[in-house]
Amino acid sequence: MGKFILNIIHRPEMVPEYAEKITGQGKKEDISRKDLLTESLDIFKLQQQIAHENGFKTTIQMTYASLFNEEAVELAKEHHEKYGDEISLTLLGLPCKEFREKYKTKDFCIWMFSMEDKKSIVNDVFEKFYSMFGFYPTSTGSYYMDAELINYIKETYPMVKCAVTSCWEEGPKAYRTCNNSWYTFLDGGPWNPWIPSKQNTHAPAASEHEDSGIVAIPHLSRDLLACFDGNGSNFGTHPQNVLRGMIYKNGEYPYLYNLIDQYRSLEKYNSGYAYNMMFVGPGWMNKMGRWEATYELLVKSYKDGMAYYGSLRDKNELEDMTMSEFADWYRENKSYTEPECALWKDILYGSDKQLFWYSDPFLRTCLDMNQGGAIIDLRPYIAKLERPIGIGTKNVHDASYPYLVQSMYRAGYFTHYVGEGTIKSCKISYEGEEVDLCLCRTKASFSQNGKDRVLTLDPVEIEFRDLTIKLVSTFTFTEGAGEIKISRKISGMSNPDAKITLNEYITACYGTTEYPEDMTGITLKLTDGKAVKQIDYNYKCREEKMTEVIEVEATIPQIGTRLRIRPADGQIHGYINEGYAFSPMFTLGLTKELSNEEEMITWLRLEKAD
Amino acid sequence: MAQAGKGRLNYRCPSCFMRDLDMDMFYDKQKDEYYCLRCQFTGNEADVLKGNDMCRIKYRSMLKRITVFS
Ligand SMILES: [Zn+2]
Repeated sequence: MGKFILNIIHRPEMVPEYAEKITGQGKKEDISRKDLLTESLDIFKLQQQIAHENGFKTTIQMTYASLFNEEAVELAKEHHEKYGDEISLTLLGLPCKEFREKYKTKDFCIWMFSMEDKKSIVNDVFEKFYSMFGFYPTSTGSYYMDAELINYIKETYPMVKCAVTSCWEEGPKAYRTCNNSWYTFLDGGPWNPWIPSKQNTHAPAASEHEDSGIVAIPHLSRDLLACFDGNGSNFGTHPQNVLRGMIYKNGEYPYLYNLIDQYRSLEKYNSGYAYNMMFVGPGWMNKMGRWEATYELLVKSYKDGMAYYGSLRDKNELEDMTMSEFADWYRENKSYTEPECALWKDILYGSDKQLFWYSDPFLRTCLDMNQGGAIIDLRPYIAKLERPIGIGTKNVHDASYPYLVQSMYRAGYFTHYVGEGTIKSCKISYEGEEVDLCLCRTKASFSQNGKDRVLTLDPVEIEFRDLTIKLVSTFTFTEGAGEIKISRKISGMSNPDAKITLNEYITACYGTTEYPEDMTGITLKLTDGKAVKQIDYNYKCREEKMTEVIEVEATIPQIGTRLRIRPADGQIHGYINEGYAFSPMFTLGLTKELSNEEEMITWLRLEKAD
Repeated sequence: MAQAGKGRLNYRCPSCFMRDLDMDMFYDKQKDEYYCLRCQFTGNEADVLKGNDMCRIKYRSMLKRITVFS
């Protein structure tokens, strides 16, 4: 039996996001309106009551505004005494009279402030907390916390051991959903807790040397399929997010329970450990209702969600912890290099689609079984990119960790007219015909062999005019290696004497959004061990080839990353393709002739390029 | 004609929701009509509710309780 851990977090937000915009419609802005403050505190009390009625302890993340409210402070103390709730401190909910008078701004996202303001705000908020409670908090959080901010907090308040640091895949999609007015560009992080590196919050630490000193938890547990191509705020362990997505009918939302249960099932891939986080801001339960959901439905969904967790706990299938308790558990039970794995299936749209997500200190990737196991997302965590963010840096908004492959933003197999999209796949050719594995829908199974996590795909059948073959793909992730071993094996041929050609390729670029970036400066290389051929990217659509290559590689200085692909043995041809303005990508490939029962093995490796 | 306000509930535009946009609608009392500031959707409450149901068509497993995972 696995261990399913739940963190429940509440924050008394005296001026809930949205509330002033919605409940205050037609009134002049006034964030110190008495009715707004009273209602906000009432919502917090109700959330606390629902959790306690179900026998859960919570983490109370005090907001700066709430530290000026005696009732909120007293309530936190009382609930800590009575229920064992942890009194914590969030960097969300900064807006209040005191904050605006001092900082003279309406900004509220901590990562967007200047470094000087970040330090000053952290000091103000932590010291105010101390003055009210007589101790410093051991956990904190925001929608995003940049590495520089975490490092400063850790330096100044070393007792902090846990933080909510990111919202999974909340980036350009969330911005667009919110009529291009919600500036959380935070794509590219892990979906489940991790230890952030000192250099970049998204990229997990590979060693004690890189350890930021905190355990990061994601803001909500989000649907690993729906959020990859949809609004992240519709598909998470946040009952009102499910309402926002309109994923309910007549007050029923089985999807919420399916989502929780699929998260529970991830213990199969993570040595018996699974995790959930529920964190609903009070704005989501305001009396005016939220969009088309009435107040009654908002409250019912919260009660139902909590009751479901309660029923799991009653069956000994769930353990609730406060944030700091969880951080201690995580430190005791996890190592730096242990990956997070998730074989995830569609639980909403009625397809059979299956994705495999993998994250470790060296890379994050996603394989799509609906496209023959093609890699549709690849992030070079090993580069540990230092990208300061906020006012005063060259980057005020974009906290996303860059991709090499992102087939939703930068096309995958399918493109309009000419040009390529980002994808890692394999083409099989025979007598002038060619088939890409992207068109072979299949399923995968997961196994673990010591340090190896292995994803084995069900055989796919490829039909040529006068030949049918069966092919099995296997992906092996060796813990700590920073590379993916890819095997393609012919497991049957209608004509056992036939020879087919495999073309194992990756088309990639770099970026954090849907838009192309400048590719000049990228170099592509291939070598047979004696000679080297090189292309310096200049959009000239050039190609270089070699027989018997030992390696093909691309260096992308813009993201300090080198991507290398090497074959297991000789007799492998290699090529590099430059791309052009209408196809701002590059392609690295290895080709080999195979007979029945033969196998082609290649390794995809990511390195930090200085 | 007087300015528009909010309706009984804060309905979003169903046409925009279908293209992954959350757009609050405003309500024109005189015409009993919700309308979108971004696209051309207009309709009364019944039209909005019908539109919301169309948004749900893509969620084919929405009401199914799933117990077996990968
Ligand atoms: Zn619209």
